[in-house]
Amino acid sequence: MKKIAFKTLGCRLNQYETDALASRFHSGSYEIVDFNESADIYVVNTCTVTNQSDQKSRQTINQAKRLNENAMVVVTGCMANNYKESLLESKAIDFVVDNERKTSIFSLVEKHFRGEVADPEGFDHDVFSYEAAYKTFHTRSMIKIQDGCDNFCTFCIIPKVRGRAISRPAKEILNNIREVIDYGFKEVVLTGVNIGRYQDEEVNFELLVEQILNLPGDFRLRISSIEPDGFSDRFFELFAHPKLTPHLHLCLQSGAESILLKMRRMYTAKQFRQMGEKLKALYPDFNLTTDIIVGFPGETQEEFDQTVQLANELQFSHIHTFKYSVRTGTRAERMPDQLSEKQKNQRSEVVRQISDHNKRAYYNRMIGKHQRMLIERIGSDGVARGYGENYIPIRLKAKNVTRNTFVDVVLSHLHEGKELEVCAVLASDHINA
Amino acid sequence: MKTDNTHAILSVRHLTATAYVLQMTRRGLGFRAGQHLLLGKSGSIHNREYSVYSGEKEDFFEVLIKEVDDGLVSKQLKKLQPGDHVQIEGPLGFFTIDKDFIENGKFLFVATGSGIAPFHSFTRSYPELNYTLLHGVRKVAEAYEKDHYPKSSHILCTSAEASGDFHGRVTDYLRSHPVSADTHCYLCGNFNMIHEAFDILEQQGVPADQVHAEVYF
Ligand SMILES: Cc1cc2nc3c(=O)[nH]c(=O)nc-3n(C[C@H](O)[C@H](O)[C@H](O)COP(=O)(O)OP(=O)(O)OC[C@H]3O[C@@H](n4cnc5c(N)ncnc54)[C@H](O)[C@@H]3O)c2cc1C
Ligand SMILES: NC(=O)c1ccc[n+]([C@@H]2O[C@H](COP(=O)([O-])OP(=O)(O)OC[C@H]3O[C@@H](n4cnc5c(N)ncnc54)[C@H](OP(=O)(O)O)[C@@H]3O)[C@@H](O)[C@H]2O)c1
Repeated sequence: MKKIAFKTLGCRLNQYETDALASRFHSGSYEIVDFNESADIYVVNTCTVTNQSDQKSRQTINQAKRLNENAMVVVTGCMANNYKESLLESKAIDFVVDNERKTSIFSLVEKHFRGEVADPEGFDHDVFSYEAAYKTFHTRSMIKIQDGCDNFCTFCIIPKVRGRAISRPAKEILNNIREVIDYGFKEVVLTGVNIGRYQDEEVNFELLVEQILNLPGDFRLRISSIEPDGFSDRFFELFAHPKLTPHLHLCLQSGAESILLKMRRMYTAKQFRQMGEKLKALYPDFNLTTDIIVGFPGETQEEFDQTVQLANELQFSHIHTFKYSVRTGTRAERMPDQLSEKQKNQRSEVVRQISDHNKRAYYNRMIGKHQRMLIERIGSDGVARGYGENYIPIRLKAKNVTRNTFVDVVLSHLHEGKELEVCAVLASDHINA
Repeated sequence: MKTDNTHAILSVRHLTATAYVLQMTRRGLGFRAGQHLLLGKSGSIHNREYSVYSGEKEDFFEVLIKEVDDGLVSKQLKKLQPGDHVQIEGPLGFFTIDKDFIENGKFLFVATGSGIAPFHSFTRSYPELNYTLLHGVRKVAEAYEKDHYPKSSHILCTSAEASGDFHGRVTDYLRSHPVSADTHCYLCGNFNMIHEAFDILEQQGVPADQVHAEVYF
């Protein structure tokens, strides 16, 4: 049996695609091993969203060849689209497969080992033909509903490497979700590049979510990362549904109107503020997380301060901070007044501290509250780990709990570890105590 | 050669020493007025965004381009002749009019320089629109094809001479001529104008979701 190892860099969509590929190899009788082990095939699913992701992707590719110099190394993902020519020249890589043909990697590898000529370019483009991922690295089942983006934010390379926005037919999505629920998954996470722009004929994003929520079964739905443009009142009402988790990763990028305009974002800071306030007014425990870019070309101290102010006001419990980095071919590449690394580092550190502070404050505020925890793993120390509906990482010390089941818990106190977590007790014990 | 996104130049219309209209084959591509194309010379790796200038029902594409002093693509495209080819990606973008408002909505279009392009497309595509167009330029000569617009709908704001309908910037005009809160406002052109106009419109009570912006530079 051949051994195959996967490494995913970057976003959830990439994770989903790796999961689906791994699942395909698993059912095709390959043994999936850890990326640090010696394998016959390494698949590196790369990211190119910042300089840092380029670097990490390159390091991972080199690591694969070091682990087994005779292994077949397949590089796919956004870097494969962005730097195809230079990757093809690398001796550490056997095949470069672009995003549009990622689903063909199984056939490509099979062909190669049958001794046939395997040419990645010989496969058709198909961004949705991933099988439902059963053999996943996660308890949550990610479902791809959309690919590509037409927003063309001035800093962003994604439209170039993921192509134009395209939505997967709603019928296929609903079937796919039915399948994974029947298979036993308890949490479904919607993924894509710009899922809010979902449109399959008459079915827009809100309608799709509604249709998913109406599917039978004991599962919950997480929207996760979304762009804050074009929500109707219906969108906000959807969160009243018990199956929809009260958590959104709503990408802010900047709190300054001027920077948002230069980024060509589709909303104003004021509109963003209103969305955040509305969510918190309707659902007081709502968990709002976000992305912020610091050091966009020309960002003044005053503009950065506006971002800081909005981040404090909306109390994002987690902020994914990106230091702006020039992406070749984007409009922002041609903008004047690029900031120094030092300035970007300083601003990034300020945002990181706000994020830490807000996270702690939010978790503290949730102490004493109920959560429906989905058990993801149980350690040898008997501590079960998982997330509640509000996407708080929970630790639970309890007997007779099983992986991939829901348990009702009450949050009890913070746990200071490598990452901040929240300890909980079973709700039944809490009542008895 | 890959030809699937290649379009032939049909004509070049020079409006001023620096502004020109390229007319190209449309090859059946659909678009909504207000959208833009990614346009580059055939065979070049460089392209830029250009709003479609022509109307939805016309069987060609037109773009209005202002040659930028140290610009790359706006200069390359200016040299094109009928029969030459360009590469087109798109149409793209969301700077469009909600079909529900076309018949009864009240519109304000504010442009600087070549930012008039999408408004030309709107008004060619939907002749029944009830609109006022403020066009901000330095001199009257830059009032690109102003005869297309009914005199009563087109207000030329000239900043460097007094011969327009209004002497000053579009933002000066806006301040002294407030709009009603039910107006759908579309702003297109340079960043500073758009940034200022946003504030002015907000002060005049126009809700943010009725203000749409297309920043060119
Ligand atoms: C959505 C969108 C639609 C656009 N539609 C049009 C259009 O219909 N007509 C049109 O002429 N342009 C349009 N532009 C601008 C266009 O895409 C190019 O930026 C412009 O032609 C300059 O490109 P260049 O390669 O010649 O200059 P570059 O080599 O890219 O250099 C541009 C530099 O010139 C400055 N600059 C000065 N004046 C201008 C100006 N008027 N436009 C752009 N940059 C300027 C910029 O700040 C920048 O530093 C649009 C831009 C966007 C984002
Ligand atoms: N055509 C010229 O004579 C000339 C002269 C100098 C520079 N340029 C350069 O040429 C490029 C393109 O120019 P363009 O004419 O296509 O477009 P532009 O620079 O946008 O100018 C068009 C019009 O917009 C006005 N404007 C500028 N900033 C404004 C603001 N904040 N609010 C409201 N109106 C504003 C200008 O007025 P103002 O005249 O008051 O700025 C002008 O009337 C620019 O880089 C420009 O700097 C051209």
